[in-house]
Amino acid sequence: VTLERLVTRRRVLLCVGSGGVGKTTTAAALAVGAALRGRRTAVLTVDPSLRLKDALGLDHLDGRPRRVPLAGAALLDAQLLDVKRTFDELVRSLAGDRDQIQRILGNRLYQNLSGALAGSAEYMAVESVFRLVEDDAYDLVVVDTPPARHAVDFLDAPRRLLAFLDSRALAVLKDPTSILPGATSRLAQLILSSVLGGLERFTGIGLVREVSEFVAAIEGVTGALRARVAQVAGLLASDATELVLVTTPDPRLTADTRDLVESLGARGLRIGGVIVNRALPQSLFGPEACDPGVPAGTPPALAVKLRHAYADLRHEAARQQATLAPLLAAAGAPQLAQVPPLASTPVTVAGLEELAGHLFEEPPPPDARTTRGV
Amino acid sequence: LTTQRLVVVTGKGGVGKSSVAAALARAASAAGQRVLAVEIGRGGLGRLLGVEEPSAEPVTLTRRLSCVTVEPEAALADMVHAMLPLGVLARRLLQSTTFQIVAAAAPGLPEYLVLHRLAAWLDAKRLGRRQYDLVVVDAPASGHSLPLLTAPRTLGALARLGPIADFLTRIERVLGDPAATAVWIVTTPEELPVRETIELHRALQNELGESLAPPIVNDVPRRRFSTSDETALAAAGAAAHPYLVAARLEIAREHEARAQIRNLYRAVRRTPVRLPSLGAGGETEAGVARLTRAIASEVGFPS
Repeated sequence: VTLERLVTRRRVLLCVGSGGVGKTTTAAALAVGAALRGRRTAVLTVDPSLRLKDALGLDHLDGRPRRVPLAGAALLDAQLLDVKRTFDELVRSLAGDRDQIQRILGNRLYQNLSGALAGSAEYMAVESVFRLVEDDAYDLVVVDTPPARHAVDFLDAPRRLLAFLDSRALAVLKDPTSILPGATSRLAQLILSSVLGGLERFTGIGLVREVSEFVAAIEGVTGALRARVAQVAGLLASDATELVLVTTPDPRLTADTRDLVESLGARGLRIGGVIVNRALPQSLFGPEACDPGVPAGTPPALAVKLRHAYADLRHEAARQQATLAPLLAAAGAPQLAQVPPLASTPVTVAGLEELAGHLFEEPPPPDARTTRGV
Repeated sequence: LTTQRLVVVTGKGGVGKSSVAAALARAASAAGQRVLAVEIGRGGLGRLLGVEEPSAEPVTLTRRLSCVTVEPEAALADMVHAMLPLGVLARRLLQSTTFQIVAAAAPGLPEYLVLHRLAAWLDAKRLGRRQYDLVVVDAPASGHSLPLLTAPRTLGALARLGPIADFLTRIERVLGDPAATAVWIVTTPEELPVRETIELHRALQNELGESLAPPIVNDVPRRRFSTSDETALAAAGAAAHPYLVAARLEIAREHEARAQIRNLYRAVRRTPVRLPSLGAGGETEAGVARLTRAIASEVGFPS
C-alpha cells in the first residue's frame, strides 16, 4: 500500500490520531499532494487557525468550500468544519416547512441539547464529509478528524445517533414523568417531579417543558434523519473509505493506538496505514548508523557541543526506533510514510507541497508543481 | 504560592499538565504542607502519584499527601441519591437515557457538582485544624476547564437565591481571590498549545483576574549553541554531515520554542515560568521527581 494508491483508489481518507501529532497539517499536505496528482480533492479541516488559512493560501477558511490556489489544472477546495452551520443546514434540508424549521432552530435548548444528542457534534462532522462526497465536483475527500479523545467518537456518531432515534428516549422525552416505567405509584411520580423541578429551579429555565417542545419539533424530521444517518454510516464502513493513522514515535501514543484499534475493531473498522511524523532519519542517527566523527577543522569548543547534540539525537533515534515497532504492531497496519522533524510548520502552499514530498514516493507530474523555479 | 489553598492546573492535552500537577503536589508535601491531589475524571495524576485504583474518597499516599478522583457522573449520582430517599428509584432514574439527556441539557450542572466537592475538601477539618493546606486540581483539558472555572458566574446568573446561590457567591470569591486560588495554565513551547493557552488565558482573565498565574511552559529545550556557534554553523551551509544535521535540527527546535514563548509573552503580557525538557522521561516517576525539584525552586519551596 502506498499513499499514491490510496488517493487514487479511495473516495474518503480519514486522518485519525491523538492531538498534537500534526494531523491537521498532514491532512492538508495529503490533500495538496492528491490534487497535484490529478484528483479533484476537498479537504475538511477542524482547525480554524490563521496559520492553516495562510498555508492553504486562502483569504477565508470557513464553512464553505474555498479554492486553494494550485498550479495548472489541480483542484483543491478547503472547508472548515462548522458544526452549527451543518446542523442548521441539515434541519433545513430535512424539515418539511418554514414553520418547522423555525420551531427547531428557535428552540433555546437547541444548541445545548444538540451537544447531548448522542454526540451530534461528531455526527455533524461526518455529515459534512458525506455532503462533500455526494458532490460530484470531487473525487476525493480528505478529512482531519476532530480532536475527540478517540476518533471512535467520530466514527461511531452515526450509529449512536441512530440508536438514539430508535430508542424510546424521544417518546419519553415528550413526557419526562414517564422516565420511571415501573414507578406507577403516586409517591414515585411525586418524587420524580420534585427532582426535575429542582433541576429547573437550579438552571432557571423551564427545562422539562423546553425539552419536550424541542423533541416534538424535531420528531417530524426523524424519519428523514434516520435514513440519512444510515447512508452516512454505510459510507464510513465501505471500501471507499480508508482510515490513516497520523502519529509520532512517542511511547505515550502506543497505548492510545491500542485503545483506538480495539474500539475500531469492535465496530468492524480498521486502520489502513500509518503516517509517522517527526521521525528522525534512522540512516543518519539510528543504532546502525556509523559515527563519522566531528567534521574536520571544527574549533574544539564547538566540537564538544556538536558531539553532545549528535549523541542526544542518536539517543532519541534509538528510542524512536524502539517505540515504532510496538506502535505499528498496535496499529496493525503498514507504515505508509515517515516525515522527518520539520524546522517549522508549513506556512505556505509551497511548504505543504514540500511536506507532501515526504508523504508520496514519486513526485507529481512536473507541470503540476507551483513551486517550479522557486 | 505557599499561601494559596487551591491550585487548579489546566492546559491542552499532552503538554504535561498532569505531570506538573503531580510535581506540585509532591513539592508542596515535601515542604511540609498537607496536600490533596484531585483528578477530575480518570487522568494521569493518580497514576503519576502511584495510585493503583482511582477512588472517590481521598486515599492517603504518604503522611502529607492524599489523592482523590472526582467523576462528574458519580457526583451527579450522589446528588440524585441524596434527593431520592429510595435507592431503587435513584438507580432507575440514573440509568434512564432521558434523564441523562435532561441532565446534560442543564448548563453547568456537572461543573457545579465538582466545585461543590472541592469546596468541601477546602473546608474539611480534622482534630480542629484544616485537613488539607493545599488542594491541587488536575483540571480537564483547556476546552473543558473553562466551564468549570466560569461556572460560578454563569450559574450565578441563573440561581439568584437560596443555598445554591450562596454557595456560588462563596466559591466565586474563593476562585477570584489571588491569595486563595491560583490557576496554572500549562503549555509546551509549540504552536498549537501556545495558541490554546493564549485563548484560555484571555477567556479566564475576566473571570479570575489576579488568580490567573503566569503561564507555565513545560518541556523547554535547553540552549546549547551560542549565537556565534550558530553563525559558524550557518557558514557550513546545508552540508549533510550528520553532526551538522543534528546541530541544525536542535537549533531550529530551540528557536521555534523561543519564538513560541515570545508569542505567548506578547499575547498575555506575563513572563512565563519555564520548566526544562525532560526528554521522554516526563511521564515516569523519575521524570516527576526531576520536575518536582524544578517546581520547588520556581515557587520557592525549600528543597
